[in-house]
Amino acid sequence: MSTPAAEHAPGRAPDAGTAARARGLTKAYGSGETAVLALDSVDVDIARGRFTAVMGPSGSGKSTLMHCLAGLDSVSAGRVWLGDTEITGLKDGELTRLRRDRIGFMFQSFNLIPTLNAAENITLPMDIAGRRPDPRWLDQVVDTLGLRDRLTHRPAQLSGGQQQRVACARALVSRPELIFADEPTGNLDSRAGLEVLGFLRGAVDDLGQTVVMVTHDPGAAAHSDLVLFLADGRIVDEMERPTAETVLERMKAFDAVRGRLGDGGPVLED
Amino acid sequence: MLRATLRSFLAHKGRLALSALAVVLSVAFVAGSLIFSDTVSRTFDRLFASTAADVTVEAKQDLRSPVPTGAVQTVPAALRDRVLKARGVAAARADVSVRNIVVVDRHQTSVGPPNGAPTLAGSWYVTRRSPVRLTSGHAPHGAGEALLDADTAARKHVRIGDPLTVQARPGTFRVRVVGIAAFTTTNPGSARVWLDPAVAGRELLGSAARATSISVDAAPGVSDAQLKRRVRAALGTSAYDLRTAGEQAKSAAADLGTFLDVIKYVMLGFAGIAVLVGVFLIVNTFSMLIAQRTRELGLLRALGADRRQVRRSVLTEALLLGVAGSTLGLAAGIGLALGLIRLMGAFGMNLKATEMVIGWGTPVAAYAVGVGVTFVAAYLPARRAAAVSPMAALADAEVAGVGKPLKARAIAGGVVGVAGAAALAGCAAASKTAPAAALLGLGVVLTLIATVVAGPLLVRPVIRVLGGAFPALFGSVGRMSQRNALRNPRRTGATAAALMVGLALVGGMSVASASMSASFDRRIDRTLGADFTVQNANFTPFTPEVARTVAATRGVGLVVRQRITPVAVGLPDGRRVQTAAAGYGPGLDEVAHITYARGGSAAALAAGHLAMDAGFAADHGVRTGSVLPVEFPGGHRARLTVGALTDMDTGEGFGTQGGIFFGLATLERYAPDGQDSALYVNAADGTGAKELRPRLERALRPYPQVQVRDQGDYKKLVHDQIAVLLYLVYALLGLAIVIAVLGVVNTLALSVVERTREIGLLRAIGLGRRQLRRMIRLESVVIAVFGAVLGLGLGLVWGVCAQRVLALRGLTALAIPWGTIVAVVIGSAVVGIVAALLPALRASRMNVLAAIAHE
Repeated sequence: MSTPAAEHAPGRAPDAGTAARARGLTKAYGSGETAVLALDSVDVDIARGRFTAVMGPSGSGKSTLMHCLAGLDSVSAGRVWLGDTEITGLKDGELTRLRRDRIGFMFQSFNLIPTLNAAENITLPMDIAGRRPDPRWLDQVVDTLGLRDRLTHRPAQLSGGQQQRVACARALVSRPELIFADEPTGNLDSRAGLEVLGFLRGAVDDLGQTVVMVTHDPGAAAHSDLVLFLADGRIVDEMERPTAETVLERMKAFDAVRGRLGDGGPVLED
Repeated sequence: MLRATLRSFLAHKGRLALSALAVVLSVAFVAGSLIFSDTVSRTFDRLFASTAADVTVEAKQDLRSPVPTGAVQTVPAALRDRVLKARGVAAARADVSVRNIVVVDRHQTSVGPPNGAPTLAGSWYVTRRSPVRLTSGHAPHGAGEALLDADTAARKHVRIGDPLTVQARPGTFRVRVVGIAAFTTTNPGSARVWLDPAVAGRELLGSAARATSISVDAAPGVSDAQLKRRVRAALGTSAYDLRTAGEQAKSAAADLGTFLDVIKYVMLGFAGIAVLVGVFLIVNTFSMLIAQRTRELGLLRALGADRRQVRRSVLTEALLLGVAGSTLGLAAGIGLALGLIRLMGAFGMNLKATEMVIGWGTPVAAYAVGVGVTFVAAYLPARRAAAVSPMAALADAEVAGVGKPLKARAIAGGVVGVAGAAALAGCAAASKTAPAAALLGLGVVLTLIATVVAGPLLVRPVIRVLGGAFPALFGSVGRMSQRNALRNPRRTGATAAALMVGLALVGGMSVASASMSASFDRRIDRTLGADFTVQNANFTPFTPEVARTVAATRGVGLVVRQRITPVAVGLPDGRRVQTAAAGYGPGLDEVAHITYARGGSAAALAAGHLAMDAGFAADHGVRTGSVLPVEFPGGHRARLTVGALTDMDTGEGFGTQGGIFFGLATLERYAPDGQDSALYVNAADGTGAKELRPRLERALRPYPQVQVRDQGDYKKLVHDQIAVLLYLVYALLGLAIVIAVLGVVNTLALSVVERTREIGLLRAIGLGRRQLRRMIRLESVVIAVFGAVLGLGLGLVWGVCAQRVLALRGLTALAIPWGTIVAVVIGSAVVGIVAALLPALRASRMNVLAAIAHE
């Protein structure tokens, strides 16, 4: 059950508790001899109030880890908690409500419903739940993200960066326990990407949010408090207070190891 | 390129399935109707050809009545002796065959077929051509004995020895069943009774010296045509109609043909609806498939495929779909024909399914319809596909055709719409029936085209209103479903168009039929003054004994008899008008309120006089006092004086014109063989209508062919007859709805596939399965109701214009069946819910991760 990484209890911030954790989290695709292990008995704790980045090459299982932690995908073995709620074993309806009420999402692309304008997209999870957003909080989020004059625009009328800012606002407005961001800057130019990363950073520092970001970009990972390195379905390392250079160095080191083991060359992009 | 086409066809076969189903349905109706009518005509051609005598001699049919009169045309039985003198005649017999009789079993119910087919009585001859064979009992001898056909005997549980009452024109007589005869060929559906030839003339025609025809058999070596010439020469007069077996079969087939034509046209109507609605479905499917494949097509173009190749590739796919659909449709058509043949069996017409005829024309028509429709429907999408730019391969293209301006549609729709509206306005303003009906037809076609073309333009404004309350009622789910329906107006428009066509038809027909019912109600209220009418549902004449029985019933004050006869009237303007005229007994003013422009009932019904519609009279230069030559059946001629002119706006309709009537005595003098069509009955002073009715019904119990009706019942009878038309329309509507549902299912299913990522995103951020299903259901409902609103709106306009045409024929009331219209709108919402079932289920089961999985 235990992996080397588990002994370090990565991501644990002793004073704030955990926003999510997993024990023995295993995800296999297929069955029998053809089964592929996307996650191999992973133990992880996501510290509350921190910005955690999950890094790894393509196929390392970083997206699968996020999907399982967020209740988007079922697990093959192991247990997952969001706060004090164990989400493994929940029914679809309960998982849906959990995602709606307690988790915020940002994806790489296709983040917004094209028929709804920016304001409607931002409040969509709360509308679905039949709850009214706190107007002062909504105003604050909208102003922080600089979306005030874009609220009535449809996604097609927004730039890529603006679209991601709307997605960010949607993730923030319901004050979720945890925000999952899956390659949020993957489709953006560097300036817009930096802007979005800045907002996520700000959400953690100023608003006390917990953010988990999946990325393969060392530059993006550098904005986080803690980087978890995934390879072949396991957490192989972690790094506090990362910089782009140190992350890149570490990635190169893994690739060198993998290369020597004959697992194929470096694959950094998806 | 062909391989790529085949691959793409097979890859999309699931999405093409619904289009194929539309093709299958239309082809099935075309093939089924052709097979059915071929089978029936072949069967009856054989029957008539094998059963007709070599030559048949009948009374000349000089006047044909559009309304049954109950008269039987006869020839002298002695004609047989003159025929026998002709050279080449092997045998001749005087046949008696009477169509319009009633045979009542001991439970006082008619043994006639339940489908309204006639009961026939005739003389029993055993010849080699006889279509029937005695299967039990013995041939009838003398009065009081009869044979019954086996089908009727089985249906009514009549056995040898049972009594039957036969009501013929000369009088009612009782017989005992002494034998059962079975058809060796197809039973055309009628009930049959046979009597001893020695008594048949007297019992059925009132005279042993009369017969209905002389059947002549040729001696060996004499052809039918030769025999016909020789018999004509021997008779030395042209007062009779002579027909060879072939001619007889043809004329019998022609009589049957009108019935078969009705079935054929109904089936072709279904096929037409299926084709029309199917076209929308196919256009929509191909448009969507191409929109989804924009990048793929762009890649093909970038790799060097030219426009023609792309277009041909799409059209080849359509061709494959058409061929596959036609083949399945042909098979389904055979099944449909089989079902119809079985159904005819249930109505007493025993066709043998094993003798099903599939002429070469059937597969040709099936493939022409199936492939043609698919090809034509796929042409526009194919052109659009060819127009995809190579750049589309590189761009992250949104669905094609969404943002394109609809200007061309607006212009085309506007021009056609204005032309259609002008035609309809012309129809409403016209003063003659023929041009009004032509303008109506033109206007209907043009406005339909205009609405289909401009449909996408109406999507935004109409659905904004229809779905306007959705956000308030259903929150963001409602908002998204409304906007999804608005998202691609072309698609929504084409999807709704399928439903629109069917509902426009129903809207128009229901307004027209409601107006007809209201007009007849008004007319009945205005004209019918009798306490009761005695007649039957299909206006078949009945024996005069009914009138005597009614008159003898205690409490009956006045009985006015109505008879119908065909006449030909020579008019002062030189025209000879052939129509049906009515004869009324004395006391007409007591049972009917007739408005006269000139004269009155007394003058109209006086001996040697007649009355006609004032408008008709004016058109043809007739005035009161004009003396007109009138021909009656059987060569009877009279000169009748115009005694009165009526002002009833009931002059035309149902094959009669001029509204001609005279006294019953006048009619009986010149057309003596008729039967009563209706009786108008008033209660005697001091007897209430309420107490009279049960007495009348009791007295008429031995005459199951007639019913007693008060004004309300009479209105209901008329309504029911109009309703028959409506039932047919409802059946057509049903089919249109089935295909329209397929269309909505199709559109939604493809939209769901297109929106996979969007749906996944919604699910990821917390939209529940049930909410997702509701979103798709609401979209479906709003599309269906949009189609219904457009269709009913169009139908109402058509209906009002159709009513203007009817008004020219005297049906002046306009009635709009709001109940039906509201029910149809609600029904269309239900249709939307039903159509959304599968796509919604599919969407709700879709993998949440589909949205966020990286490409």
